[in-house]
Amino acid sequence: MDPAKILMGAFLVNNIILMRFLGVCPFFGVSTTVDTSVGMSAAVLFVMTLATWVSWLLYHVLLLPLGLVFLRTAVFILVIAGLVQFVEMVLKKYVRGLYSALGIYLPLITTNCAILGVTFLNIDYEFSLLQSTLFAVGTSLGFALAIILFAAIRERLEDSPISPSFKGYPIAFVGASLVSLAFLGFTSLFGISL
Amino acid sequence: MVNSKAWMVVSLVLTCTIAAVALSQVFSITKPIIDGQSADALKASLSEVLPGAAEFNELEPGTAWSGKDAAGNRIGIVFKTSPRGYGGPITVVVGLDTTGRITGLGIGADMKETPGLGLKAREAWFRDQFRGKSESEVALKRDNGTLDAISAATITSRAVTNGVRKGFAQYSHHLKP
Amino acid sequence: MTSTPTRWQYFADGIIKENPVLILMIGLCPTLATSVSARDALGMAAATSFVLIGSNVVVSLIRKVVPGSVRIPIFIIVISTFVTIIDYVLQAYQPALYRVLGVFVPLIVVNCIILGRAEAFAYRHGVFDSLLDALGKSAGYGLVMLVMGSVREILAAGTWFGYAVTPAWFRTAPVLFMIFPPGAFLLIGILKGIVNRLTASKV
Repeated sequence: MDPAKILMGAFLVNNIILMRFLGVCPFFGVSTTVDTSVGMSAAVLFVMTLATWVSWLLYHVLLLPLGLVFLRTAVFILVIAGLVQFVEMVLKKYVRGLYSALGIYLPLITTNCAILGVTFLNIDYEFSLLQSTLFAVGTSLGFALAIILFAAIRERLEDSPISPSFKGYPIAFVGASLVSLAFLGFTSLFGISL
Repeated sequence: MVNSKAWMVVSLVLTCTIAAVALSQVFSITKPIIDGQSADALKASLSEVLPGAAEFNELEPGTAWSGKDAAGNRIGIVFKTSPRGYGGPITVVVGLDTTGRITGLGIGADMKETPGLGLKAREAWFRDQFRGKSESEVALKRDNGTLDAISAATITSRAVTNGVRKGFAQYSHHLKP
Repeated sequence: MTSTPTRWQYFADGIIKENPVLILMIGLCPTLATSVSARDALGMAAATSFVLIGSNVVVSLIRKVVPGSVRIPIFIIVISTFVTIIDYVLQAYQPALYRVLGVFVPLIVVNCIILGRAEAFAYRHGVFDSLLDALGKSAGYGLVMLVMGSVREILAAGTWFGYAVTPAWFRTAPVLFMIFPPGAFLLIGILKGIVNRLTASKV
């Protein structure tokens, strides 16, 4: 699979949040302001790329040759949990501002289905290490695009007149529906289908 | 004692071991069933497009098979192509008799086409059209052929016909004795 | 004055008052992705329930001997064991459903509902209560999935559990929008709006 297609596919055509439904919880939880969204996207990019490398290597070098494929789920999630702990420690020490801004959302990356989802998809699509990296980067960029775009919309929604039952989550979901509709237009862009 | 360092390590190791053992048991029980499924599914889809064949032998790995009837006579071939459709590759399986005419056409279950539109390609009327056609006849009516496209799903319909013709080009040499 | 919930409430809360998807707002990803038809939605709910019940019971059983500092990794191992079990069982015995649910079966392991209940409830309560809690949350989750799956299937295909329930003219041009992501987002937004309205009027 051609690298540009993998990147474009992950970024737009099959946007991780708006088309694949992975990463929806942080999408709604963190997109209240553009700043937290940018911070979260950076953290996701970092963790997703690292997790891709570690999980891919563990799978192809250890699990597959030893016939331990069935341990995939357990191993991958433990890798991610460990990585997130590590990122937390590093941020706490060196980038205090981002650490406090992300607050509870950082440990929540562990349960972010996007990260675990991408590690699984790398295996299911039978990507090489390079292809997996491209997929991870493209996906994180797609995550960033969706969440920052959405945060901008939500910041505007704050000042809009909305009926009380729809304030907060409901109108956010409806907004997401419209953004997702726009992204649906990217189907088969440049003939990409992945 | 519950919080001693030693127990921390032991409890982790113990949990991992128990989990690994339990899972390898489940795996060994289910793996044969899972493997059997793909073999059965393959035979079923091949038989569906080349009726009368009792046995299939692989001609090219994963893409072409020859079919023999119960008496051992060659009655045709089956090939599989994956043309690019609207939402992803479509698996198309085609059976040909010894004169090079289509005996049946099947469309793969994992078609990630626009549900409702492209999925209609799996509908019988679309696939039945292909029966009896030779290579030159396989094209949509709007492409100077003989086949009707699925309304509002031209891309999918065309993908299927193109895929079939490519398959003819690639595999029909197997029909020669 | 708050009274200790009766046993029955551990179960009942999960259905409405603490419905995982519509009140606690967790476990959204698989809900949106797999509720394309009533049958698939219930299949997903069943798989998730299996893991939730299994992990709640096991976590509750080992709660007294698990060292506090490593409990999260241990919970994760327990949960992923149940997830892997249902993964392979579905592959072997329900291959059609497995193909539909796809990557969301192994993703059950990060479904916040499960780790959330293990930490918030099973770790601090007895086995029977944890079982009730898991059953309640499962029922609540199943209910939401049933509603979403049904609405999406009826609108987008005109069928319910595969049986045609709409007139033929509708089925030739159904609301396909509901099968796609935008439809899912819209539906859950409306459901949440309705829930907010209902809970607001009770206050």
